[in-house]
Amino acid sequence: MNKVGSRTPRFVRIGALLGVVFLALPIIGLFNRVAWSTLWTQLTDVATRDALRISLYASVCATVLALVLGLPLAWCLARLHFAGRRFVRALVLLPMVLPPVVGGVALLGAYGKSNGLLGGVLDTFFGVQLTYSLWGVIIAETFVALPFLVLSLEGGLRSIDTKFEEAAAVMGATDFTRFMRVTLPLLKPSLMAGLMLAWARALGEFGATITFAGNIQGRTQTAPLAVYTMLESNPEGAYALSFLLVAISVAVLVGLRDRWIGGAAQ
Amino acid sequence: MISVHGTVEAGTFSREFSIDVGNEIVGMFGANGSGKTSVLRTIAGLCPLGKGELRVNDEFVDAQAKNIFVLPEMRNIGMVFQDHSLFPFMTAIENAAFPLQMRGVKRATAVEKAAEMLEQFGVAHVAQQMAPTLSGGQSQRVAIVRALIGSPSAVLLDEPLSAIDEESREDVRNHMREHLVRLGVSAIVVSHDRAELDHLCTRIENYTR
Repeated sequence: MNKVGSRTPRFVRIGALLGVVFLALPIIGLFNRVAWSTLWTQLTDVATRDALRISLYASVCATVLALVLGLPLAWCLARLHFAGRRFVRALVLLPMVLPPVVGGVALLGAYGKSNGLLGGVLDTFFGVQLTYSLWGVIIAETFVALPFLVLSLEGGLRSIDTKFEEAAAVMGATDFTRFMRVTLPLLKPSLMAGLMLAWARALGEFGATITFAGNIQGRTQTAPLAVYTMLESNPEGAYALSFLLVAISVAVLVGLRDRWIGGAAQ
Repeated sequence: MISVHGTVEAGTFSREFSIDVGNEIVGMFGANGSGKTSVLRTIAGLCPLGKGELRVNDEFVDAQAKNIFVLPEMRNIGMVFQDHSLFPFMTAIENAAFPLQMRGVKRATAVEKAAEMLEQFGVAHVAQQMAPTLSGGQSQRVAIVRALIGSPSAVLLDEPLSAIDEESREDVRNHMREHLVRLGVSAIVVSHDRAELDHLCTRIENYTR
């Protein structure tokens, strides 16, 4: 006879099944609308190729930038006790709960060319304009992706037993060597999971990007923006591109799951 | 030489210690909670000394009044941790070679030397195994090799033979003693097993609560 704890009530099974259907139906609907015979033609269209190129380039750059900013931030949040730590953590989480369009408006307030806090200075002294540029796309994507990486890394750093770092220190490892040779390998599962989440968030970014960087084909139009634009003018192209984005996401999920986040996925 | 005269603190624990260790193997015997492990951690630089002075080889490494605190990585100490603390993402031989690499020895040379010492301590056959797959005794032997391999100027051993089975204990103990004598350094062995200390040490300090 099954133990009480391992028995699953019928309403739970039905609820879970409904959950699966709810998630699967839109994907099936999307696949159903893809015109398979013209898929290749649609995907090799100039606008689609431009959007894919910008999306992949900007999302990878945003993930790298998020790592550069996020790792030190996660370290301080996980291991330092300083005044205002709760405020900093709230600040880090804010882009996660903020409507992305509001994030874009906030970025305009900071880096906008005409009346941004820093935008005018960047334009006047360095000739750098972030709005309506590829850098604008990267900044917008970093803004929304950073929290995912920081949260994952902070959790990872908290779960690492510091005894290994202590042992390395006694054996003569300096701060930097200790980080590279001991902390980083221990952090690898959280790091890879965080990078994957951040990259996926950056790749799917829409609201902040369109508000801050615009929707200029060949310059700032990313794949999600292209899908949105094409839905009116070329629905077949929109579905083809959407299918490709789903395929990329699934490939990344499957590819990384076993290697780095197996424990979390099982 | 190791010289500790001061207050060892760890969390709410605090106790005065006065220990002088020359080029000998000194045993520290005492009940759980008597601060034996905390003393070793303080000497290694993992906890600061509360009050007083700590010297290793006639150099002050921790003296609050003199505003001296030498970082653990600068103390050149070898240590066997109570739970071994082998790096779980490395093989046994990579663990054993680590201190040599930290001292600037090339990887190939470090691995060669580590292989030689693992052989002496009877764990050559598990050299390529990942640390988490080692048995308690194998893991402890690798930890001993790791503590001795870098020719440290002082060696601290926290329950170094506790996980090793009765039959091979004498063999490991003899190799350990041989290495310590050859290095000619101060060594402190902490154990709750009085007989073990009698076998290994030249002198025993008794610390009871």
